[in-house]
Amino acid sequence: MNQKPDNKPKQPGIFSLLKPYSGLVFLLILFALFSNSVNLWLPKIISHGIDDYIHSLIGLRNFDFNPIIIKFSLAVLFIFIFSYLQSIIQTYTSERVARDLRTRLSDKISRQSSAFIEQVTPSKLLTNLTADVDSIKLFVSQALVSIVSSIFIIVGASILLLTINWKLALCVIAIIPIIGGTFFWVLRKVRVLFKQSREVIDWLNKVINESILGAALIRVINSQQLEYDKFLQANTKAKDFGLSILRLFAGLIPVITFAANMAALSILALGGHFVINGSMSLGDFAAFNSYLSQLIFPILVIGFMSNIIAQATASFQRINIVLNTADTSETGVLKETLRGDIELKDVSIVYGQKPALKQISFAVKAGSKIAVIGPTAAGKSQLLFLLTGLLKLTSGEVLFDGRNIGDYESESFHSQVGFVFQDSIIFNMSIRENIAFSDTVTDQSLEKAIETAELRDFIDALPDKLSTIVSERGSSLSGGQKQRIMLARALAINPRVLLLDDFTARVDTSTENKILANVQKNYPGLTLISVTQKIASVEHYDQIILLMEGEIVATGKHEELMKTSPEYVQIFNSQQSTSNYELQSK
Amino acid sequence: MNYNLNDLQAKMPKSSTWSSLKKLLQLISHERKNLILALIAILVNSTLNLLGPLIIGHTIDTYIFVPHKNYHGVLMNCALLLAMYMVALLTSYLQTILMGGVGQRMLFTLRNSIFNKLQLLPVGFFNQNRAGDLISRVNNDTDKLNQFFSQSLMQFIGSIATMTGAGILLLAVNIKLGSATLVPAVIILIFTALTSSWVKSKNAKNLKSVGGMSAEIQESLNNFKVIIAFNRRDYFRKRFEEANKQNYSTAIGSGIANTTYLPVYGLFSSFAQLIVFVYGIYLISSGENIGIGIVAVTYLSYANLFYNPLRQLASLWASFQTAMAGWDRIAQILSLETDLVTIESDIEEPDASLLEFRNVHFSYDEEREILHNISFKLEQGKTYALVGPTGGGKTTTASLIARLYDATKGTVLLNGRDIRTYEPIVRTKKIGFILQEPFLFTGTVMENILYGNELYVNYSNEQLEQVILEANLGSLLAIFENGLEAKVLSSGDSISLGQKQLIAFMRAVLRKPDLLILDEATANIDTITEKLLSDILEKLPAETTRVIIAHRLNTIENADEIFFVNSGEVIRAGSFDHAMDMLLQGKRVS
Repeated sequence: MNQKPDNKPKQPGIFSLLKPYSGLVFLLILFALFSNSVNLWLPKIISHGIDDYIHSLIGLRNFDFNPIIIKFSLAVLFIFIFSYLQSIIQTYTSERVARDLRTRLSDKISRQSSAFIEQVTPSKLLTNLTADVDSIKLFVSQALVSIVSSIFIIVGASILLLTINWKLALCVIAIIPIIGGTFFWVLRKVRVLFKQSREVIDWLNKVINESILGAALIRVINSQQLEYDKFLQANTKAKDFGLSILRLFAGLIPVITFAANMAALSILALGGHFVINGSMSLGDFAAFNSYLSQLIFPILVIGFMSNIIAQATASFQRINIVLNTADTSETGVLKETLRGDIELKDVSIVYGQKPALKQISFAVKAGSKIAVIGPTAAGKSQLLFLLTGLLKLTSGEVLFDGRNIGDYESESFHSQVGFVFQDSIIFNMSIRENIAFSDTVTDQSLEKAIETAELRDFIDALPDKLSTIVSERGSSLSGGQKQRIMLARALAINPRVLLLDDFTARVDTSTENKILANVQKNYPGLTLISVTQKIASVEHYDQIILLMEGEIVATGKHEELMKTSPEYVQIFNSQQSTSNYELQSK
Repeated sequence: MNYNLNDLQAKMPKSSTWSSLKKLLQLISHERKNLILALIAILVNSTLNLLGPLIIGHTIDTYIFVPHKNYHGVLMNCALLLAMYMVALLTSYLQTILMGGVGQRMLFTLRNSIFNKLQLLPVGFFNQNRAGDLISRVNNDTDKLNQFFSQSLMQFIGSIATMTGAGILLLAVNIKLGSATLVPAVIILIFTALTSSWVKSKNAKNLKSVGGMSAEIQESLNNFKVIIAFNRRDYFRKRFEEANKQNYSTAIGSGIANTTYLPVYGLFSSFAQLIVFVYGIYLISSGENIGIGIVAVTYLSYANLFYNPLRQLASLWASFQTAMAGWDRIAQILSLETDLVTIESDIEEPDASLLEFRNVHFSYDEEREILHNISFKLEQGKTYALVGPTGGGKTTTASLIARLYDATKGTVLLNGRDIRTYEPIVRTKKIGFILQEPFLFTGTVMENILYGNELYVNYSNEQLEQVILEANLGSLLAIFENGLEAKVLSSGDSISLGQKQLIAFMRAVLRKPDLLILDEATANIDTITEKLLSDILEKLPAETTRVIIAHRLNTIENADEIFFVNSGEVIRAGSFDHAMDMLLQGKRVS
C-alpha cells in the first residue's frame, strides 16, 4: 500500500474509483498530513519546555512560559482547523463517491433487459446499490485517510524517537512488529469467522424476510412457534459465531496492552539509566512516554482498515460485475406504425435444459382476436413475453407485419404493443401516474383508457380522484381494481396490439364483458391476444390456440376445435355449466 | 388500529439517549452475576494499568531526578511494574470475554424479542407497512446494533473505564492540577450534551432516507418488466435519482454531524496537555508538594489516558448513537401490541351454527367502513360461495372468519362462542384459509405442503406420499415433475403461480380443518386441474364446511348456499340462478 495518491496501482482496483475525485482526495490527504505532522511536534514542544525549565532550575537561563504557550496554542489551533476541514471533505468526498456510484449503477441497471434483472435477482442488485456502496463509502471516508495518517505517524514518531535516543528508540520500536504481527494473525482468523458469520446473518435475515412476506399465512396456520424455532436456530448460530470472534479479540487486546506496557517499562529502566548517567534529558524522557502513547493506536488502525479495504474490494468487485455487463444493444431501426399482423415461425425457448416453448408456429391477422388457452405451466405467459420482446427466443422467428421483431426500434415497438401482466404491478404513486405510465400518454388517451377499463366510477368515488396515491401492498385496492388499472395503463398508449395475460382471473364476468365491448368500440382495428382460462369469454374469437406443455395442441375457431380437439372439449366440458349460463344470459 | 411505523414515528415524542439505553439494559437484567464479575475485572485491570504512570513518575521524583540517584530503586520499581502488568494481562482478558459475552447474549435476546414481536403482531401491521421498508428496518437496524455490540462495545467499556480511572487519579494525586486538567473535559461534555440530540436526529433522518431508497429500488426492480414494456427506463432512473439525491443530502448531514466531535475533542485534549505543563510547572515553582516526574510523566500520561479514550469515545459515541437510533426504531416495533387478544368468556350458546356473523361492521381505518351490519350463519358440512364484484368485501369477510382482523362492531361466533375467546391454536385448527396470494418458504415442495402441520411431523417421504394419496391429492402430485423434493428458492421463480396455488391448496387440505376458506384459490390454475381440485373438495369429510370465494361461477355451482357480497353488504341468494341474476345485474360500486 503506497500512501501517495499518484502512486496508486493502475489496474482497475478499488483505487481507480477515486480517479475522478483525485483533487478532493489530494486535499484530504494533504490536510490529514498537515494536522498529523503538527501533532507529532506537540510532545517536542512540551519536552523542550521541561528541559528549559530544568535548565532554569540550575540557573542556566530564565524560564519563560509565553513562547511555549504561544507555540503550543498556535499548533493546536492549526490542527483543529485542518482536521475539521479534513472531516468535512471526507464526508463530502465519500458521499459523492457513493452517490455517483449509485447513479452509475442505476443507469446501468436501467439499460438492462428484464431477463437480466430476473436472473441477477432484484435483491442482489439492492445489495449492490446499498450495502456494497456503503462499504466503499466507508473505505473512502475512513480507510484512506486513516491509513495514510497512521503510516505517517508511525514513521514520523519512529524517526523522532531515533533522533532523540536511538538505543532507547529501538527498544520502543520493537513493539511495532510484535503488536502488528499478533494483530494481523488474529485478524486473519477473524476474517474467516466474519465471513461465516455473515452467511449466518444472511440466513437469519431470510427467515425474517419470509416471516414478513408470509405473515398472513403464518397467522392462518398459527405457525408462529415454528418460525420462531427456525429463527432461534439461526440466531443461536449467529451468537456462537459472535462469541468465537470475541474470544479471539479477548486474547488480542491484552497482548497489545502488555506489549505497550513492556515498552513503557523499558523506557523507565533504560531511559532512567540514561537520565541518571546524564546521556538523556528529562524532557526527552517525557517525550518518549508521549510518543509511545501516540504510536500504538495507528498500528491498530491499519489492521482495522485493512479489513475495511478487503470488504470494500469485495464490494467493488461485485459492483464491477454489474457495471461491466454489456448493455442490451439496440439493433432495430424500424419505426413504422404496426398494422398488427403477427407470425411465429418454429419458435422455441429453452431455459437451461427445459424447453418452455417447442416449435411454435401460428399467424395472426391484423385486427383479429386470438385466444391462447392451456393448463398451468403450458408456456402461455412466455409466449406473451416473447411477443413483447421481453424474452429472447432460442430459435425461430417472430414477425410483425412480416418483419422480424428485432428489426423494430424497441421504443417505437413498445409504444404500439400494450401488455397487461398477470400479476398486479402498481407503483407507489398516484393513479394518474400509474395509468399514464408511458410518457407518451395524452390527457385524451388517458380518459379513453379509463372509460374503457370501467374505472370511471371507482376513480370518481376516491377523495383525490386521479391524484389518489395507491400502493403496492396496501389494502386500498382489490385484485380486480389493480387488474383494471393495469389494463388502462396498457390502453393509454393507444396500442395497435394488446396482450392480455390472464386478465379474466380477477375480474368478474359482467365487468369483463363490458370492458371487452369497450375495447372493441374505442380501439377499432386493434389486434388482441388474450391468454385466459375461460373458454366462454373467447368462444367468438377469430382463433383459439390450445397450448400444452409448450406445444400447440390445436388451433382454430371454437366450433372447429369442438369437433377436432378432444383436449379442448375436455376443458370446455369442465367449464360447461357456467358457459351455458352465460350464453343464455347474453 | 394504526400500525403504520412511519406515521407512529412522526407522532412519537423524541426520547433521550438515556431512556433508550435504560430500555435496552432491561434486556440484560438477568446477567447481573456476569456483569459484576466483568466490572471487577475492568476495575482491577484499569487500576493496574493506571498505576503504571504513577509509579514511573514517582520513580523519577525519588530515584532519578534527585541529587542522590538510585538505579537500584529504579530496577525495583521496574520489577513491581512487571508483576502488575502480568496480572493486568489476565484481567484484561477476563474483562473482554465477560463483557463481550454479555453483549453477544444481549444481541441474541434482542433479536429474539424482535422476531417474537413480529410473530405476535396481527396481519394489519404487515399490510400497513411496506414490506421492503419493514425488512430494511429489521435487518439494517439489528445489523447496526450487531456492529456496535460485536465491535465497539468492548472498546466502549474499556475506554470508559480507563477514562474514569485516569480522571479519579488526576484528582487524587493533586486536586489543583487534576481539576485544571479536567476543565477542557467539562467543555467537551457540555458541547456533546448540546449537540447529541442534533446528531441523533440527523442520523435518524438518514436511516429513514436509506429505508426509503431501498423501498424505491425494490419496487422498481421487482416490476422491471413493466418499466421495459412501457418504455420507462427513465422512470427507474428518475425515481432512483430522487431517492439517491435525498439520501446524499441526509447522509452529508449525518456525516458532518458525526465527524464534528473528533476535531473538537482533539482541540481540547491538546489544551489539557498545555494546562498540565504550564500549571504543573507553576505549581512546582510556587512550592506545591509535587515533583517534576509526576508532572512531566504521570500527569501527561494521565491526560493522554483520559483524553485519548475520550477521543475514541467520540467515534464510538457516533456508532453508539447510530446503534441507538436503530434501537429506537426497533423499540418502536417492540412497543406495539396486537389488537387481537384472546378474551375470557364462558358464554356459549347451545345448538349454535358452526360460524355466525352477528351485526358485524368492519373498517380498516376510521375513514371508510368496508362491511356494514352483516349477519349470516354457516352450518357444518355445507358448501358456501361468496360471489360478487371486485372490491365488494369478499376477502374482508373471509379475513374476519379467520380472525385476521376483528370486527369493529358486532360479533363473530364460532360454535356459539365469540371467536375472540378461542386460543389461536384451537381456532387455526378449526379454520383453514387458502389465501389469494400463495406464499412459499425456502425449502422443498414437500416441506411447504406440510408447513406447520403437526399431524405428520415425523413421517418419512413414503408415508407422506401415502397420506397424500389417502387425502385424494395424489392426482396433483404428478404436476410437480421434479417430485416433492424439488427445491423452492426464496425468489420462488422456479415454481409457477399455479403450482404455488396447488401447494397452498394441499397444505390447507392436509390440515383437515372444520371450515375451509378458498379465496380465489384457483384463479391461476387451469380448468382441468381445477376440476381435480373441486373433486377433492367434494371428497373432503362430510362434516367439513367450505367457503369458496370466486369469480368463476363453475366453481360454485355445487354450493349449498350462495352469498352475494357487494358494497359491504352480504345478501343470501337462495339459488344459483338467483345469484347469477344478482351478479349480472348488480351495479359495480367498487
